[in-house]
Amino acid sequence: MFETIRRHKILALTIGGGILLLVVLMLFGWIRARPAVVVYTSVDQVFSEPILRRFEGDSGICVRAVFDTEETKSTGVVNRLIAEAQSPQATVFWSGDPVRPFLLIERGMVEPYASPGARTIPEGFKDTAGTWTGLAARARVLLVNRQRLAGRPVPRSVRDLSDPLWKGEAAIANPLFGTTTMHVAAWFSTWGDDEAKRFMNALKENEVRIASSNGEVKRLVVAGEVVFGLTDTDDANEAVKESGAVEIVYPDQDLSTGQAGGMGTLIMPTTAVLIRGGPHPDLGRRLIDFLLSAEVERLMAETAAHMPLHPNVPTPDHVRWVGNIRTMAVDYAHVASEMERIQPWLRQWAGL
Amino acid sequence: MAATVGGAVIPFRLRLRRREQGIVLAVAGLVLCVAALLPLVALAAELLSVGTDGLRLWAERRTWVLLGRSLLLSGVVTAVALAIGIPLGVLFGRTDVPGRHLAWLLHAFPMFLPPFLLALGWFHLFGRQGFLGGDATARVLFSEFGLIALLGLTFAPAVTSLVALGVLGVDPSLEEAARTTARPWRVATRILLPAAWPAVALAAVVVSALAFSELGVPMFLRVEVFQTAVFARLGGVDYAPGEAIALLLPLVPVSIALLGLEAWLAGRRSFEVLGMRVRSRLPLPLRRWRLPASIVCWLAALFSIAPVLSLAARAAWGGGFRAASQWLRLAPINGLIAATASACIILFVGVVVGHAVARRSRAARWFDALAVLAFVTPASVLGVGIIAVWNRTATQIVYGTLAILVVGFVARYSVVGVRVFASVVAQTPAHLEAAAAAAGVGYGRRLARIVLPLGARGAAFAWLLAFVFCLRDLETAVLYYPPGREPLTVRIFTLEANGPEPVVAALGVLHVGITATVAAVGFLLLRRKAPA
Repeated sequence: MFETIRRHKILALTIGGGILLLVVLMLFGWIRARPAVVVYTSVDQVFSEPILRRFEGDSGICVRAVFDTEETKSTGVVNRLIAEAQSPQATVFWSGDPVRPFLLIERGMVEPYASPGARTIPEGFKDTAGTWTGLAARARVLLVNRQRLAGRPVPRSVRDLSDPLWKGEAAIANPLFGTTTMHVAAWFSTWGDDEAKRFMNALKENEVRIASSNGEVKRLVVAGEVVFGLTDTDDANEAVKESGAVEIVYPDQDLSTGQAGGMGTLIMPTTAVLIRGGPHPDLGRRLIDFLLSAEVERLMAETAAHMPLHPNVPTPDHVRWVGNIRTMAVDYAHVASEMERIQPWLRQWAGL
Repeated sequence: MAATVGGAVIPFRLRLRRREQGIVLAVAGLVLCVAALLPLVALAAELLSVGTDGLRLWAERRTWVLLGRSLLLSGVVTAVALAIGIPLGVLFGRTDVPGRHLAWLLHAFPMFLPPFLLALGWFHLFGRQGFLGGDATARVLFSEFGLIALLGLTFAPAVTSLVALGVLGVDPSLEEAARTTARPWRVATRILLPAAWPAVALAAVVVSALAFSELGVPMFLRVEVFQTAVFARLGGVDYAPGEAIALLLPLVPVSIALLGLEAWLAGRRSFEVLGMRVRSRLPLPLRRWRLPASIVCWLAALFSIAPVLSLAARAAWGGGFRAASQWLRLAPINGLIAATASACIILFVGVVVGHAVARRSRAARWFDALAVLAFVTPASVLGVGIIAVWNRTATQIVYGTLAILVVGFVARYSVVGVRVFASVVAQTPAHLEAAAAAAGVGYGRRLARIVLPLGARGAAFAWLLAFVFCLRDLETAVLYYPPGREPLTVRIFTLEANGPEPVVAALGVLHVGITATVAAVGFLLLRRKAPA
């Protein structure tokens, strides 16, 4: 019986310890009062975190970050920003693509800021009023596993996804989430509803695998589960590092194959946005200035294979210049509105 | 401060003592309501703002098909987990299998990891280019069969542990009496298992709820489930929480059905088999069955740690362990603080409400139902409610700190404490408490001197289980973790996007190591001393 009473005392001590821990949590809250810039980002953590740490080191300003997950990228943090709109926690949103910020702009959640660092960013990759500014860009590419080609030609167009030659052997990420949503919206914006819907239905008939994310597409191609998949350049470059069997194909570059074949690939700059009503906006502006520097673009090119938008930024050999790629002519604001408009249809397409 | 009854003065202390149980239950219920009910009310308000538009989803056949499919899948997963976990629970808990405690701990490893990491481990094993993989294994893995097998194996250790705890709680006198006339097999099937039936029923409820609410693994294996449809409303471009909540309306009858299932499985028989003797007895001798049973137990243990070994191999070969330190930051500490604090609060709620549930208090049943509803509500939806309630200027000390994780964990995992302790109390003779009450002993002292000492092992297990669930949680924490204060599971998940696979694998193994260390310490504390 003494033993059981002793155990009971241990239990009471445990509960007391828990209460003490809660006090510690409150202290954490007090520590939080120290000025810090809060950034929400849908740029992959593996690339964005070292840059944010660099800013901390250079400026002495503490950065607290919320990163997105691969499955919901980039919508996860955007929806968190929307859910928190009544009391914004974030000051800066560093988006992995150029269309999600428009969801915030529409809701009046963005404070315009024309950073000095935006002056040398080309038109088309920024808003002159400063609601959003692009930097380090990615492209949508085909990742091909050469070992699984078995004598068949290398796919060169997104149209190959619907080619019966590749039935059940191609993959795209779930078009309800991430950059794939933007890409599908860009097809709707460029081709019109009828053709885009026909193409999407053809993907289904061709048994294209719907992966949970672009990273998962990469994994499927590297593992040889499929012959090729549609993904982003950063995922594709990681795949090339992991496996010598895969190669990157910039799709729809060939003018000789007609209008569709030569429509170019979709370019997606990451974007920096200042959130209206977020804490410490002055620190947020300093972070945006830093993100829009040529130095950050150089780092993003080296570590994440993102294409710089500033002129004369040195890049590694495997990173191509935007000017050397045939790009899809799209208006990001229109793509953003298309993205919202087609959601019900996309959910139906996905069977959800 | 005194009141009069029939002219006699009743001191305040006496009045307080009479109402002691009600007050303590109200405090525990308040904790549960603040954590779980407020977000659910916020969600209901969101639903009202959508109006009848949200209900049109239920006019679509596809919605019903997905719901039916998910219910069926969770039912089959539960059956698989029970089929594995019940026999293993008895073998690990009460037999003379050599090294059974170590085998039990290894078998429990899948409980320590978020299921998506285990899926990643199985993928490294059975994917097309996995260590043991090929075309056929990849096809099986990425199918409904693969999903059932993976989730069944993932959740089986929870069944094993609950059943083992149940059989360990049986008064040795009952077992010893049976062993004088019956063989071990009959003792196990006629005495131990029936006595541990509340634990089996609890395991069935926990596993079916976990399987129904699982999202990461079905998405990884590309199997369409109902939760994907809910998530599409929250993770998609047209953020539509109202529609997501409308989709969740059937969860109310599902929760009631789960409670009904548990009541049906446990029946109305008495399970008062937890006696005053808490010292250990000799394990059941398996005799000629010892070798095959040992092989089964150790195979189960090895099978359970296979995905963890696969992750460890991936980490070791890619230099992941060396590189992991630069990606850790404070994530393990954040997770440990939040999980420890949450487990303590859950234990308090579990002891008070669980005891009242077992003693058939009507108010406690409402709290119990609330805990079950919060558990089966998808974390993504619960998270929307939590943000709506706590993201206010006045509550930033909670929302902007680790305290918000504690709130979320208590909301989601209180059911673990409540149900585990309720099943323990169901095995405790009520007449002991009745005798103490007749002698004028107050509720607090009865709880402290009778209920807790008899159910000490169960309380410790409830704390440990709640701690493990909180520490491995991903889906609740990922939605609103305070900026810069993410737990390790979230860090692994966000790093998984293009992060080096060996580092992700190393962080996963580290997470297992941390949890296993805490579990091993708990295991040692839970072990009974050998009889003198």
